[in-house]
Amino acid sequence: MKKKLISLLLAAVSVLTLTACGASTVKTEAGKGSLNIFVWTEYVPESVIKGFEEKTGITVNVSTFSTNEDMLAKVKAESEGAFDIVQPSDYMVKQMIDQGMLEKLDAAKLTNIGNIGTAYLKPSYDPTGEYSMPYLGGVGGIAVNTAKIADTITSYNDLFNPKYSKSLVVLDDFRATIGMTARSMGLSMNETDPAKLAEIKTKLLTLKDIVKLYDSDSPKSALISGDCTLGFCWSAEIALAMEENPDIKIVYPSEGAFLFMDNWCVPKGAKNYDAAMEFINYMMEAETSKAVSEEFPYLNPNTAATALLGSEYTNNPAKNPPADVISKGEFVQNLDTATIAIYDEMWTALKQ
Amino acid sequence: MGRNAKLRTGQTAGKLYCLLIYLFLFLPIAVIVVNSFNDTTSKPYLSWKGFTFDWYLKLFDNTALLGSFGNTMIIAVANTLLATCIGTLAAVGMYKYKFRGKTIIDSLLYIPVVIPEIVMGISLLTLFSKTNIPRGMLTLILAHVTFSIPFVIFNVRARLAGYDNSIEEASLDLGANRMQTFFRITLPVLAPGIGGGALLAFTLSLDDVIISYFTNGQTKTFPLKVMESIKSGVAPDINALSTLILIGTILLVVFTQRTSMNRKDNKEGK
Amino acid sequence: MKGRKMKTTAAPAAVMVGPVTLWLAFFVAVPLLYVFVMSFCSLDQNYNIVFAFTLDNYARLSDVNYIAIYLQSLIIAFLTTVICLGLAYPFAFLIARTVSKYKAVLYMLVVIPFWTNSLIRIYGWRTFLGANGWLNNALIAMGIISEPLDLLFSKATTVLGMVYCLIPYMVLPLYTAIEKLDKNLLEASADLGAKKLTTYRKIVIPLTASGIFSGSIMVFIPCLGLFFVSDILGGGNSDIIGNLIERQFQSGNNWPLGSALSIILIAVTLLLVKLYQKCGGDMESLGV
Repeated sequence: MKKKLISLLLAAVSVLTLTACGASTVKTEAGKGSLNIFVWTEYVPESVIKGFEEKTGITVNVSTFSTNEDMLAKVKAESEGAFDIVQPSDYMVKQMIDQGMLEKLDAAKLTNIGNIGTAYLKPSYDPTGEYSMPYLGGVGGIAVNTAKIADTITSYNDLFNPKYSKSLVVLDDFRATIGMTARSMGLSMNETDPAKLAEIKTKLLTLKDIVKLYDSDSPKSALISGDCTLGFCWSAEIALAMEENPDIKIVYPSEGAFLFMDNWCVPKGAKNYDAAMEFINYMMEAETSKAVSEEFPYLNPNTAATALLGSEYTNNPAKNPPADVISKGEFVQNLDTATIAIYDEMWTALKQ
Repeated sequence: MGRNAKLRTGQTAGKLYCLLIYLFLFLPIAVIVVNSFNDTTSKPYLSWKGFTFDWYLKLFDNTALLGSFGNTMIIAVANTLLATCIGTLAAVGMYKYKFRGKTIIDSLLYIPVVIPEIVMGISLLTLFSKTNIPRGMLTLILAHVTFSIPFVIFNVRARLAGYDNSIEEASLDLGANRMQTFFRITLPVLAPGIGGGALLAFTLSLDDVIISYFTNGQTKTFPLKVMESIKSGVAPDINALSTLILIGTILLVVFTQRTSMNRKDNKEGK
Repeated sequence: MKGRKMKTTAAPAAVMVGPVTLWLAFFVAVPLLYVFVMSFCSLDQNYNIVFAFTLDNYARLSDVNYIAIYLQSLIIAFLTTVICLGLAYPFAFLIARTVSKYKAVLYMLVVIPFWTNSLIRIYGWRTFLGANGWLNNALIAMGIISEPLDLLFSKATTVLGMVYCLIPYMVLPLYTAIEKLDKNLLEASADLGAKKLTTYRKIVIPLTASGIFSGSIMVFIPCLGLFFVSDILGGGNSDIIGNLIERQFQSGNNWPLGSALSIILIAVTLLLVKLYQKCGGDMESLGV
């Protein structure tokens, strides 16, 4: 009996496996090499990746991460060259450059560079502009479900009101959320003074009762489903939530918001360097960038694309944060390991 | 109330209780199956927008998802074969022979069973990282075999408990060598234990999340693909695939039950 | 064991037990040893590991905040175990002792859900309990409530998820233990005049103790490390030791600290196993 059972199981399993393998081998045999990209969740549309695969015949393997630190950990843990493309934010680009973890980009291959607004090239975190190419950016804005919340919210500080107990969704990102707390007190997101950090910690812990959910991947889900009525989220997530539920509005904090700009980089030892260059150049095409913005409406540094998007993008404050929000805002900067340890303790205390 | 009436109320209460527990166990499954027919295209795919079979068709376009399922199958089969071979040999060997260090091996065997999976996961990640073995299919299989071997050994051991060695003696006396004895005599007797262990190894491998999470590199297994999707919203094609797998499993179980019952009837000399 | 014992010859023994010994040494012993060593290391500015002995990690982990999380993990694990036991015992008893011809089917019905992917089943609970989920929509449609119930993303939801994930590990050992109960003993007890409750208390439960203990341990220990349940259903605000470890090996980038946490978890596990053995628990029954 057992023999029959085992042979039956093996038969069924082989059939299933062959079908599934068949699906994947056909793809790789037809391809002209592969590309391993490591990107933020909810950031690169599948349609765009498929477009690249069809255009070049290169197979793209996508892995995703939820925070910069997650990305750094995985890149360090894997063998060198495991990933061909990564997507670090501003401060993380600088950290990776300092640690010698990035390859220089071949400017000759990036022919579409004219599409990127000059204001975004050669940023402070990559002064020579040789290691990164801006992709999308945005603001850590506030989302308010005006149907459920009658009060006017104008600042990060307003979120710390105990009456909003268990109704807030915040980013599961310790620099972002601790930074938001610091901003709400008029302090810098990159505070290092231990006395001030102690004050930030006290205020941060009051958030424990107010936060219902920590989510860096898709905070809009909680807003759309109604599980949360307030949010501290990526601006495009709020924009998408607003489209699903018109009661949801975006508010930019009066204290000055958390800003970010994400970039394409190539880690050291990448095995498919040429394919990586082709990919980055493809992502900078006006049409591609437009398609990206239509699915994930973040701040787009590609001026050729924003021209194509028109007023639907430029006049939407959630998709295209106003200039004064950008000028008042603050970027995250790198901190030394001792200070990071303090931030880590704060975060552990909060999430318990 | 008469004694019979009390008994009947007791029995009904019991049946009701069991029904409630089964409902509890199957509730999420019902949700998954129903949602596989959800005619929705917008994330997070939670509100019901109508009935459709579309997702079952879209499933076969989703090469990444099917690929991950294929990976899981390959790993499960490789794991089962390797773990069963190593485990069976070890169980029989440990039963027959006395040697130094037997107690150490015994204790080491309990570690993957008792310790929380996360510790196994990070320790294997550390090992692979230090020895520069690139994370992928290979490390996944190695990791899965590591936690499967003890289960195979325990199952075979349970079967060895009442083992009568004299058959083997007889076989050797009649001229068969050790290898022939092992394959023709020992293994068939142990077959139910080996089968149980193999089945357990296969099942554990199919659904492994935590250990795979740390040792997979960029290779996606089905559970890890689901984990990735949960972050952005589970599209109903995953529900469709899960439903198909569930149906397949139920059919397999029903079939094997039928076969075993037929065999029993045949044995009883019908 | 009957029959003449085989002579101890090195070759067959080595061939049979060699592979598993090597495997265990390389994939279990060595990695754990390495984790132990790493727990005494520290990091430099570039997040690379420095091999200089230090107790810093353990000092950090004795901080009040961490102790609070250990306690929380133990409480959640304890609640999960107790609830699993309470729910599973009557259930296992009824199924194991049923005279219905569908007994095998009933048994299979317990196991089948667990052949579906566990992550997606946990996600199913999220779909069911959300503010716009099945339960709330049904209750509102029936007019029982007007505002959705706040059921998701709390510590209670985490416990629910843990119970759901781990209940088969309680049911199966209990089932095995209960099936071995001799019916005659129960009949004798009733004949001697004992009430049903007394029979349960004095006969059934002590005789099935082995099942209770192995079930409890198979639920309690994994509970400490099941980080994805507290992530998906808890909303990230009911962190357990498993979450701490996961964080240090991922975004925290601090493998030494994560290793120290793992050693603490192993220590807790070993203590629980010792307790289990003291209560007469049988190690063999844990793996079958």
